Amino acid sequence: MDAAAATPAPKSGRLARIFAAYGQELVVLGALLALMAFSGAVNARFLSENNLNSIFSGNAYVAVAAIGMSMVIIAGHIDVSVGSLIGVLATISGTLAVRGYPIWVAWLAAIVVGIAIEAVNGVLVAYARIPAIVVTLGMLSILKGGLISATSGAWITNLPPGFLLAQFRFLGILSPVWFAAVLTVLAALWMRYTALGRSIYAVGGNPDAARAAGIQTKPTVVFVFALHGFFAGIAAILFASQLQVIQSTVPPNLELNVITASVIGGVSILGGTGTVIGSTLAAVLFAAIGSSLIFVNVSAYWLKAVLGLMILATVLADMARRRRAV
Amino acid sequence: MLRAALVTAVTFSLAASPAMAAPAWTGGDDLPTSPLACDATPAKASAKAYDGGVPTKPPDRKGKKISVVDVPKLIGIGYFNATSKGIADAAKELGNVSAKTDGPTKANIDEQITFIDNYITQGVDGILFAANDPVAISPVLKKALSKGINVVGYDANSTPEARQWFVNQAQFNGIAKALMDSMAAEIGETGSFAIVTSTFTTPNQARWIAEMAAYAAKCHPKMKWLETVEAQEDNVLSFNGATTLINKYGGDLKGLFGMTSVATPAGAEAVTQAKKCGQVSVIGLATPNAMKPYVNKGCVKSVVLWNPVDLGYAATYVLRAVADGTLKPGATSVKAGKLGALQVVNGSEILLGPPFIFTKSNINGFDF
Amino acid sequence: MAPSLRRFLRHETILAVLVVVALVVLAAQSERFFTADNLLNQGRLMAEVGLVALTMTFVIVTGGIDLSVGSILGLSAILVGVFWKNVGLALPVAMVLAVGSGGLAGLVNGLIITRFRVPPLIATLATLALYRGLAEGISQSRSVRGYPEWFYALGQRDAAGVPVQVWILLLAVVVSSAILGLTTFGRATYAVGANETAARFSGVAVDRTRLLIYTASGLMAGLAAVIFVSRVSTTRSDMGTGLELDVITAVVLGGTSIFGGKGTIVGTVLGLALIQALRSGLSLAGVKGDGTIVVIGLVLIGAILVSNVFGRDGDG
Repeated sequence: MDAAAATPAPKSGRLARIFAAYGQELVVLGALLALMAFSGAVNARFLSENNLNSIFSGNAYVAVAAIGMSMVIIAGHIDVSVGSLIGVLATISGTLAVRGYPIWVAWLAAIVVGIAIEAVNGVLVAYARIPAIVVTLGMLSILKGGLISATSGAWITNLPPGFLLAQFRFLGILSPVWFAAVLTVLAALWMRYTALGRSIYAVGGNPDAARAAGIQTKPTVVFVFALHGFFAGIAAILFASQLQVIQSTVPPNLELNVITASVIGGVSILGGTGTVIGSTLAAVLFAAIGSSLIFVNVSAYWLKAVLGLMILATVLADMARRRRAV
Repeated sequence: MLRAALVTAVTFSLAASPAMAAPAWTGGDDLPTSPLACDATPAKASAKAYDGGVPTKPPDRKGKKISVVDVPKLIGIGYFNATSKGIADAAKELGNVSAKTDGPTKANIDEQITFIDNYITQGVDGILFAANDPVAISPVLKKALSKGINVVGYDANSTPEARQWFVNQAQFNGIAKALMDSMAAEIGETGSFAIVTSTFTTPNQARWIAEMAAYAAKCHPKMKWLETVEAQEDNVLSFNGATTLINKYGGDLKGLFGMTSVATPAGAEAVTQAKKCGQVSVIGLATPNAMKPYVNKGCVKSVVLWNPVDLGYAATYVLRAVADGTLKPGATSVKAGKLGALQVVNGSEILLGPPFIFTKSNINGFDF
Repeated sequence: MAPSLRRFLRHETILAVLVVVALVVLAAQSERFFTADNLLNQGRLMAEVGLVALTMTFVIVTGGIDLSVGSILGLSAILVGVFWKNVGLALPVAMVLAVGSGGLAGLVNGLIITRFRVPPLIATLATLALYRGLAEGISQSRSVRGYPEWFYALGQRDAAGVPVQVWILLLAVVVSSAILGLTTFGRATYAVGANETAARFSGVAVDRTRLLIYTASGLMAGLAAVIFVSRVSTTRSDMGTGLELDVITAVVLGGTSIFGGKGTIVGTVLGLALIQALRSGLSLAGVKGDGTIVVIGLVLIGAILVSNVFGRDGDG
């Protein structure tokens, strides 16, 4: 990655454009590969099939949630309630499954409720003109309090085996990996090649220009939030079905992890740029870092500090790269 | 630049590991330990003078209806649901206690203190608590005592003078012995194991790990501690932590300790999904409901816990006895409803009893 | 200036009305709510959040945000113990150094934002993790306790019947509202938030203003840390977890616009008062913790919604 940035003149127009357009994604990919090489050298078990599978599939739900979050951030907004939302959706889904409803109903419920709640957020942001951080900060409390009132954190056990989506394998690879990969690619293509997808960039980059160009900014914003709810629903099912029991609580720090994955992946907090490919790669990178720090025997007391340092380093590297590009 | 930062960070941390004076096992605290005897000699009950706190001019509550609030470490997890149920059961049996459970949504001292403070203002008659930090909770509990409120703790203690009595599920060294002996029985005297805990700052877990280290050094010196990871009170984090440990050590890992009622089922799940049932033993503290799938399949042989429902139940009876004046400083035992007479140890602690072992034969009879 | 001044007053007035309504309703629910004893106690409980919210107002008015205040609090808190017990300094020196470390952490935030041009949300998201990690690493997850008696006076005792930290909070409120409302620095703060480019071209030292504000935010978190340690008589590396959300909620509720350029200390104080009143009053009325946070979430959204409806002045 340093080599790429230090290249004095672009090799060819097309290559240069790829580097310029996907710079941060390449940086993250490079960091991921470097990390895997380094950790594999220190402890060969890091690269074992089991470990790679568990790194990728164990955190795929963060990547899926980050797809929706990236779209929201690209559109110029943010959602700090996604962690509470996923906790709520996982609980709803698991409860329905245990109560005997068909599996597909349980899965669909998570998605539908996710879309509905986020659509409410979107309406408040777009039509009531309340800043997204305020709406979602309020929604975070409402969802968290509501969940605890309803369940008191009870364990949901006796999940029917057909419900455990995250434990299915296709071609030997666990399904969350497939979901993350396929959804990322589809979302990236949709955002780049469809008018509606591109309008998200426009709305985030310059809302006035977008409006002047004939884009209906308010319905678009509601739509983006609803779409984010769709991804949150899928993420919730993957999250809920990793184990045979569901803890009906709000997973700690999930929203921060998702937002961090998005911004490290190159989605600009100012709106208008970034891709979902970057956020998925970044989510994978964090999972890999978390695992590698344990493999490499970093002192357990310093684990968080090292992680924080790496986040900071990635951020600074990104800014340095952007300034050089400008 | 990123690479440089990465290398610096990793070097820094690798250098820091030996540089810091870490305790024997990561995650243990640095308070003095008192390991038990290696054989089945029961612990000597120490005859200590009463060291609990005294409420200032409490009103006469004998026989009267009292309102009690239970402020656990946090609400919304299965363990404290169970203690809350025990408290509710006892209140119903007693008939003259109205109890409610209220607390913070995360295991934070600040929020817990605010809750207790607000209930003091409300004027409750009794407070039951499980502390997030023994020292931090003391000022507000002393305030409660000074307003004549009866204060009894359970599960996680405060400093002794801040409460009147503390219902202890089991002694720290007793739990440490039970856990280590179970692990030694399953993986042998030369086995290696790792630990999944909540955080390094959670007082109970830190005490247990420290006591386990001391007991292991004394009675199972050839067993090898590999590593401790933090996973808060979260199911998925515990699962990921356990899986990482299994992947990292491969065949070298013979056992996993789950130090929270969330970590143990997650560890069992990790072992199951890694298809290592029977190769990696999972020993830990857990509520029966969460462990049923694993115990019934034979992946986990036994689960150690006291009965948290009984713990809450006993705490309520103790509080009633204190409010009525039938339990006074210097007492050596107290009657706790269907649990019978409970022993007083360490001056102002009331022992629930020996740890309860859930196995395949009895686990299906419980529902919490 | 006059129309925006009207707008300022609009939101703060609505909020003041809300606070009064809340106080009346809650007082009706329980006679123990509106007593001097309870109100002063609530003041003691909210001192840490209150102090940090004052500097957060400045931060948000400049169009930025500081998510790392909770972690800075945790770091400064353990440093009190580390400097006193492990390094062996005298306790007053340790306290000053801990507050100073908070300021240093804030300065680093400011440098990352101004020198490296990292957006504040991302910069402080990264330092949130870093500072919390440093707190855990430096303290090795140990608590330091056993302070001398005089130390507890800061967090646990009263002076002239009012808790000590409430006096500090009141002083801070007066000073910060004076700075924000009456000095050139305050005007520069608004200018940076309203239109950074225009401010720069008008000769406002934008970067220096930002740097000072983030440093102040860190210093205040450090001060809050010392008070907190005194109040609970121990140090823990997880202190202050989640503080940033409480602080931001209070500031935003008080009418400070997240986009920058608008906001007052008065509004923040009202926001703080409303949230604390709700926590106390609802608890006394028998509502449990989970119900209370739902109410606070609804109040937050509702208050801004109402304010938007009344404050139609054509922008956005």
